[in-house]
Amino acid sequence: MTVATLARQLPDTVRITLAEIDRDHRCADLFYGTVSGPGSYAFNLAAGVTEPALVLGSSAAFSWGSKYVHWAEGGRSWIQCFNLTLPVIDGVLMHQYLVQQGMTRLDPFLLGAVAGSRGTFAHPPRSPGAAGQQPLARAEYGYHFDPASHARCFAAAVPPRRIHHLKGALSRVGVCDGVITGIALDGADMVTADLYLDCSGPSAELLSRLDPAWLGGRALQISADDVAEARLGPPVRSVSFHDQGWAAQTPLRGSTRSLTVSDATASCNARGGLSASATLGRRRRAWAGNCVGIGHAAGIVEPLTPAPMMLLERDIERLMTLIPVSTASMTVEEREYNRRHGEDHHHAMRFTRALLETSALPDSDFWRAARDTPDAELEHKLAMFAERGLLVSYDLEPFHPEDWLIMHFGIGRRPRRHDRLADRADAKRVRRYLDDAAQQVANAAAALPSNHVYMTQLERYLRQDPRK
Amino acid sequence: MAEQSDISSICIVGGGTAGWMAAAALAAKLAGLPIAITLVESDEIGTVGVGEATLPHIRAFNVALGIDEAEMMRATEATYKLGIEFCDWGRRGDRYIHPFGDFGPTTNDVPFYQYWLKLRQSGDRSRIDEYSYPVIAAEQGRFRRPSGDLDAVESTFGYAYQFDAGLYAKFLRGFAEKRGVSRIEGKVVRVVQDGETGFVRDVVLTNGTTLSADLFIDCSGFRGLLIETALQSGYDDWSAWLPCNRAIAVPTQSNGALRPFTRATARTAGWQWRIPLQHRVGNGHVYCSSFISDDEAHDQLVAGLDAPMQAEPRRLSFTTGRRREFWKKNVVAIGLAGGFLEPLESTSINLIQDGITELLAVFPDKGFAARDIAEYNRRIGLHYERIRDFLLLHYVATQRDDSEMWRHFRNLRLPDSLSERIEAWRTRGHLIQYEFGLFLSPSWVAVFLGQNLVPDRHDPRVESMSVDALTARAMDVRARVDAAVRRTPEHTAFIRESGGAARLAVAGA
Repeated sequence: MTVATLARQLPDTVRITLAEIDRDHRCADLFYGTVSGPGSYAFNLAAGVTEPALVLGSSAAFSWGSKYVHWAEGGRSWIQCFNLTLPVIDGVLMHQYLVQQGMTRLDPFLLGAVAGSRGTFAHPPRSPGAAGQQPLARAEYGYHFDPASHARCFAAAVPPRRIHHLKGALSRVGVCDGVITGIALDGADMVTADLYLDCSGPSAELLSRLDPAWLGGRALQISADDVAEARLGPPVRSVSFHDQGWAAQTPLRGSTRSLTVSDATASCNARGGLSASATLGRRRRAWAGNCVGIGHAAGIVEPLTPAPMMLLERDIERLMTLIPVSTASMTVEEREYNRRHGEDHHHAMRFTRALLETSALPDSDFWRAARDTPDAELEHKLAMFAERGLLVSYDLEPFHPEDWLIMHFGIGRRPRRHDRLADRADAKRVRRYLDDAAQQVANAAAALPSNHVYMTQLERYLRQDPRK
Repeated sequence: MAEQSDISSICIVGGGTAGWMAAAALAAKLAGLPIAITLVESDEIGTVGVGEATLPHIRAFNVALGIDEAEMMRATEATYKLGIEFCDWGRRGDRYIHPFGDFGPTTNDVPFYQYWLKLRQSGDRSRIDEYSYPVIAAEQGRFRRPSGDLDAVESTFGYAYQFDAGLYAKFLRGFAEKRGVSRIEGKVVRVVQDGETGFVRDVVLTNGTTLSADLFIDCSGFRGLLIETALQSGYDDWSAWLPCNRAIAVPTQSNGALRPFTRATARTAGWQWRIPLQHRVGNGHVYCSSFISDDEAHDQLVAGLDAPMQAEPRRLSFTTGRRREFWKKNVVAIGLAGGFLEPLESTSINLIQDGITELLAVFPDKGFAARDIAEYNRRIGLHYERIRDFLLLHYVATQRDDSEMWRHFRNLRLPDSLSERIEAWRTRGHLIQYEFGLFLSPSWVAVFLGQNLVPDRHDPRVESMSVDALTARAMDVRARVDAAVRRTPEHTAFIRESGGAARLAVAGA
């Protein structure tokens, strides 16, 4: 993903070398999970990967989001779907009317949730003015993906001869005065560069030599098994918990991927599949000297949500805005990159942590360890919603207020009171509006084709249409 | 149905723009709820009344209240505003416009100004302004409302108003009273607090009238009668960074065509504003008394006027800064009671609007939850801090050293938030982003480049486009801007045609 983005956006005068270390990344990459957010579409395009290319070149499928099974209060389930901002009615956020009416579920108003539960999908229209006019237009989608085939798509997008591609085992990393001076792969000369991007995963072969400090501590193991499927499953990943961890089932094209996450000390039950261990957290500095850690080289979050892929995309986007302009000093870039990396990581951790604030999860070693003390900002967010349904936001969070809202309602968090301004409206009219809105969503979802039919037809179209 | 804990009465202490904006907004937004709203003001106490230029956000405020634009403009002698022209800020003789809009289109996720930096490096002499529709329209005295066609150049801007703040307050008073706000004439002489909680229970007027309320909104101006005198919120003095502490304001006759922009001209110890309204021009001199005497400041102001004065100048004193707690117990301070930042970027009315908007978002019940108050204070505090940094940028992004004040700024230790921002810009034209703040990237670009802080280098991604391709693209953008401006009507004519003309219609000016 990094190489494709660099190759697409940087001028040809910048030499790009990919030093591909002999290592099976399929295992460590499991920690990127299997679902991405709506931002992936634009990210992929910026890297030269069109959606048709993604569909035809990988096992990716469309995703409304994740279903958390029996995760909510009272053992209910909900679909954490993606959605644009919900309507604001007479200056009051829509969910305040639900609270006022004593309505406890948000999902009837979310096309992704309703369609997800029915196993249906279609692309939301993006014509100007569509949003707010049709329920489908307010829905957003991401992708289900297998990291290995996802990576192959990006590799294919790199223009031929644009990069210098080396492969081998990493045999030497030169370090002097806080910078990388070069690297060598077996049988090759030292490769030198102005800037080194460490995409080597949790081991951070380069970055760790400049700053080994890792802020975090909870070690997990992850394993994946793929079961062949003749028919594509629903456009929703399914996540369920157990005493010692959690598991996710992700429908991909041609298979279903089962991920299992547990404590790193638990015995691993991968049946001939892939597995890996990692310690959650982040490097103290994602950028040190002339080396930038991308993705897991700089930070790892639990793939309970789309956060891992969102953070990887953000790392690369952030890098592109801060490609150094001088080799003499990268201080400005380093400071700004690290500040934003730290904030993005914190926000993602908070969102993941908020997912655990439910009495449905067991009181086991795994879950107790997962539920460390929330920080003050997360406490404030949760408390403000609990008190009055207020969504507290900070600058540039990766998860939007709608994501938080869907989670709060999904888990069963009920504000103690609602926005008083909602009381101005006639209660019967409000109820009619909400009932109509829910009916529109239900009608729209019912009109969508099943996910496998939609994808089959799309694939057929893409393979036939030379303009794709 | 109201619950026992629901707020049932609000008392706004102080009229003026802040008081009547609060009254009007609360009356509109709380309509239908059993909440009595009272505003107490005294004709004896003058209002500051110098805030006359606004920001585009004011339109959202008016729309939310259902205020008709043409009606408001007629009532307040308003003109349209496309931005602010800054004269003599970078160097003497310089001028630039900070527009309500961006400069050129983003391409491949890279903002246009980065491409412009490359063009400039290649020898091109076009101004960044030439790629901004609102700048060119403003310079040519033209105006139209933004187009709904997002592909059109005419959609790439916003606009605000220049109006008589006193008339705006009067207009909002009529609006609010029609919607049930009770106005009480009187001067508050005593504040009664609950013995246990310290909450404000009543305000007592000169004539002995006692006004009780659940929630008090302090719009009493700099004094902060409730928030400070009674509740002792405390004040963070920012004059170390922004030392201007005086202003003189004077109206002059209209002189020539009405320009759709405000002018801010840097002086030796402050700056002078010029705001064209339909019926007059508002002028003022904001200055620091440590660097110039009041008499000299007066003389500088008068020397800088382009038309005869219509009244004697009014003088004001202030301390730049913010209340430590904008909301304390059951008192929310809005407007000057909450803090003061000089109106260099027309932020005064916007801060009032923010205060009201956030109060509605976190509207309390009688419990006055600590978290609600903390959240409100956090939000408003962030607004103040980010505006402060942006204003300070004007003073420090300069090559002037021709007076004590300018030399003071050259040696000033800046807040980290600003110094890092400047360093990132200087190094590579990088703009440190935030989401919650009044002035976003295009505003920073306008001031940085307008005041000659050109980055040492530009974003390497722009090198993907050849100079020839970039030159052709730039020419196309300039041509589209020019063509769009040519299609745009003359400002005064537009005011008349849109129904916003008060005197203009009569005088046929």
